[in-house]
Amino acid sequence: MSEKTMNSSRRAFFLRGGAALGTGVVATVGASAAPAEKRTPLEEQLSDLRRELQEAQDRTAIRQLHLDFAALIEQQDYERAAQLFAERGDLDLSGERAQGRSAIQQLFERKYRDQTASVIHSAYRQNASHQSNDVLQITAGQARATFHVDAQLSTPLQEDCTAAKMARLQGQVADRRWQAGRLEGQYVKRGGEWKIASLKYLAA
Amino acid sequence: MSARNYRPLQMHRIAYSDLTEAQVSQALRAAASGPTSKSPLSSALAGKRLKIVTDDGGPTLEYNFRSARELELSEKGGKAAKCGYGALQDRNLVLVSHMIPGTQRGYTLVVDQQSALATVFEVYFSGYAAQEKAAAAAAKRAPQFKNGQRNREVQRKIWFGYVEGSGAVPTARHTYTNRLEGKGIYWEQDNDIEILEFYLTILYSNFIELTRFGGEMTIAAPSDYIMVNDHQFIYSRIECEFTGTCTLQIIDLFDLTQKGVRLGLTEKDELEYYLYSGKGELTGQIATFEVFGNNSLTREGPRRVYRPIETFDVMTDEQVEDQVLNHAVTFGDGMHTGAASMGGYKGELITRFVGKQLTVRMDNGPAIEYDFADAKHLKWRYAGDSQWREARYEMYEPDDELYFFAHLLDAEFPRSCALVAVDMKNGLATLVKGTTGTPFRNNETHPTYYFGVFHTEGGPTPPTYIRHGWTDEMVGKAVTWNYQPGNPGLTSMHFYAAPHTYSWIIFQPDGSGGLQWSSPGWYSKVRDGVYIMSWVEEACNGTLGVILFNERLMHDAGFGFHVGPSGLSLSAIGARARHAGTFDIKKYLGVKT
Repeated sequence: MSEKTMNSSRRAFFLRGGAALGTGVVATVGASAAPAEKRTPLEEQLSDLRRELQEAQDRTAIRQLHLDFAALIEQQDYERAAQLFAERGDLDLSGERAQGRSAIQQLFERKYRDQTASVIHSAYRQNASHQSNDVLQITAGQARATFHVDAQLSTPLQEDCTAAKMARLQGQVADRRWQAGRLEGQYVKRGGEWKIASLKYLAA
Repeated sequence: MSARNYRPLQMHRIAYSDLTEAQVSQALRAAASGPTSKSPLSSALAGKRLKIVTDDGGPTLEYNFRSARELELSEKGGKAAKCGYGALQDRNLVLVSHMIPGTQRGYTLVVDQQSALATVFEVYFSGYAAQEKAAAAAAKRAPQFKNGQRNREVQRKIWFGYVEGSGAVPTARHTYTNRLEGKGIYWEQDNDIEILEFYLTILYSNFIELTRFGGEMTIAAPSDYIMVNDHQFIYSRIECEFTGTCTLQIIDLFDLTQKGVRLGLTEKDELEYYLYSGKGELTGQIATFEVFGNNSLTREGPRRVYRPIETFDVMTDEQVEDQVLNHAVTFGDGMHTGAASMGGYKGELITRFVGKQLTVRMDNGPAIEYDFADAKHLKWRYAGDSQWREARYEMYEPDDELYFFAHLLDAEFPRSCALVAVDMKNGLATLVKGTTGTPFRNNETHPTYYFGVFHTEGGPTPPTYIRHGWTDEMVGKAVTWNYQPGNPGLTSMHFYAAPHTYSWIIFQPDGSGGLQWSSPGWYSKVRDGVYIMSWVEEACNGTLGVILFNERLMHDAGFGFHVGPSGLSLSAIGARARHAGTFDIKKYLGVKT
C-alpha cells in the first residue's frame, strides 16, 4: 500500500503526486521481490518503471473517474453517472442512498431527475482550501480516496402550483447553496477498468 | 382601426383543428407564390445570386433572385426549386420569406448587406409530434402532448451564417441575446393591426392585439431574440397552444420600425402569409435580473415551450363533484395543500375578531354573518338564515386595520369560497366569491366580485356611497414575487398587462426571464397603493389566486382556490415583492371613445 498527499493543482497532482506515489510502491514491492528472482539491475529498473507507470495510470484513472462523476452529475447525465459504479457499488449523497448499480440508476432517475429527493447534489468544485488534504491509496486492484469538494446542494421545489411546475421545467429549485465537504470513495479494478465501489459524501 | 373577423372566443378557448398533413399541404398551396404585403416589396435582391452558408451543419442555400417576386433555390447543391417570395428592407437588412412549393417548409432570411452576415429561419409544418417524441425520449421525460399531431404548429430551426463572397469568410455572427429583455413596444402595422408587444423574458414574449376584442387579453408565446447590432434585432414567436402561427420581424430601435412576416394557419384553418411593416412607440423598459455580463449569447438545447393547455387535467363532472365534496382541504388540514407553497411569507394569523360577530353586506350580493370562534374556526350564515355553518378560516392584516380572510362555503357542487376584505378605517368590505367550474372546464374556477360594507361592534359607521371598486392603477406594472425563503425560492414576476388580464414569468436559474403564461385578471382598489388583484389560470390548471397587495409594504396577503385530481384546496398566499418597472400603456387600453 502506498499513500501520498496530493498537490494543490490537478495538473501538479498528475505530474508530481503520481510519480512520488509510484516511487513508494516500487520501494515496497521491489524489496520483497528481490530474494525470489535474480534479476539484473536493468531488469529491476525496468520492473520498477513498469510499476511506477501502472501506479501513475491507476491514479490518473481514479482521478478521472472522480472528475467524470462530478461532470456527469452537473450535466444531469445520470444514466452515465450510474455506469461509473461497480455492479454492487453503493452511493450515499446527503442521505440519498442506493446499493447496486441498478438501484443507483433508479435513485438518479426517480429522485434526482424527477426532483423528489430532499436534497440533490447538482455540482462539485475542487475545494481549494482542503485539496492538499486529498488522499488516494491504492493496493492491488483496489483503491480508497478522499476528495475535498464544495458540493452544490439543491433543494427541489416540491409544490404542485403552476409557478413551481414552470420553475421545475427550467431546472429551478427552491434553494441552491454550496457546502464544503468531501467525497469518500472506494474503487475496484475490473477487467482493467476502475469502477466506483462506494461513494459517500460527508459535510465538512 | 382594423375590424378583423375573429371567432367570438378568446384564443385559449378555441378548440383548434388537429389538421392532417394532407390538410396542411392543401392549406399551404397558396404559399407557393410568396407572402402578400400591403407595403411595397423590396427589390434589393432582384437580379442577384446569393450563396448562404450556415454553421453547425445547417443548410447551404444558393439563391437566384430572378425578380422581386420569384427566386430559385438550390439546397446543398441540389436541383433548384422555383419559389415565390417577398422581401422587405430595413436599412442594411433584407428580410426574405418564401415557402418551397410542394412542401410544407420554407425559409425566412435576414441578410445583412453590409456585414454579409445572415440568419436563416428554416420553417416547416407537421414536425412537432416527431420532434417532441424524440426530445422527450432523449431527456427521459414524457412528451408534452397527449393527443393529436399539432401539424398546424410552425416549427423553426435557426441557423447563423453568412453570404459567401469573394472576400474572407466573416467570423462574426448574429447571436442570441437578452438585449431586448424587459422592453415593451406598441406597434401600428401597415395592415391596420395594432399590437402591444412585451419582450419580458429571453424565451418568451407576450402581446396584446388591440384590434382583437379591444385588447382585453394578453397571450404568451415562445420567442427567439437575436441581435444583429445594438439597434437592430430579430424577434420571432410561435403561438404554440393556439394557432401555431409564426411571427418573425426585424425590430429597428433607432427609428422604432418593424419589418416582419406572419406565417401560419388561422383559427379558421386558412393560410395567413403576409409581410408587414410597422411603426412603433416605446412603452417602457423594466428591470432584468441576470448578473451583469450575462448577455445570453448562447442557448443550450432546444428552446423550452410551456404547454399548459395540453397538460391540463381534464376531469368529468362526476370526478370534480367527488373532489369538491369529499376531498376538500382548507389551509392544510389534510394531505393536500394546493398553493400552500406560495405562502412562505404569509403574516401572523389575526385574532382581532375572535369572540366577536361581524356582518358583511354586499351591494347586489350576499350578506353574511360571522361568529369567530378562534384564530382558525368561524361560524357563518347568510343573513336571515337560522342555521350556522362551521368553517376553517385564516385572517391576515395586509394593511393597517385592513383584514383579509377566507373560508369555504357550503359543501355543494359547484363549490365556492368566500374571500373577504374588511376595511376598518373606511367601513368598507369586498367579497370575492370563488366558485368551481367555467363554461369551458369544470375543474377551473371563477371569481365573482361584490363591493359593500360591514357591521361589527365598535366598527365604523359605513358610508352610503363610497365603495372599494375597479381600478386600472396597477396596469402596466411589473412586480416580482418571492413566495418562500431560499435561493431563489419560488419566485415569479407578475406583469399587470391590461385591466382584464395579466401575465406571469418564471425566472431561469441564471436570473433571466424564462417561461411565461397569461390569464384573465381582475383589479380593484381598496386604498391608495392597496389593491385586490385576482386571476384564474384558465386552460392552465384552473386555480383562482386572489391577493391583497400593499405597495407600501411590497407584500401581499392572499388565497389560492384550486380543484383538480388531488382534491379541492383553499390555501394562503403570502409573498414579498420587488418593483420591476412600469410600462406606459394605459392610453392604448380600455374602452375606446
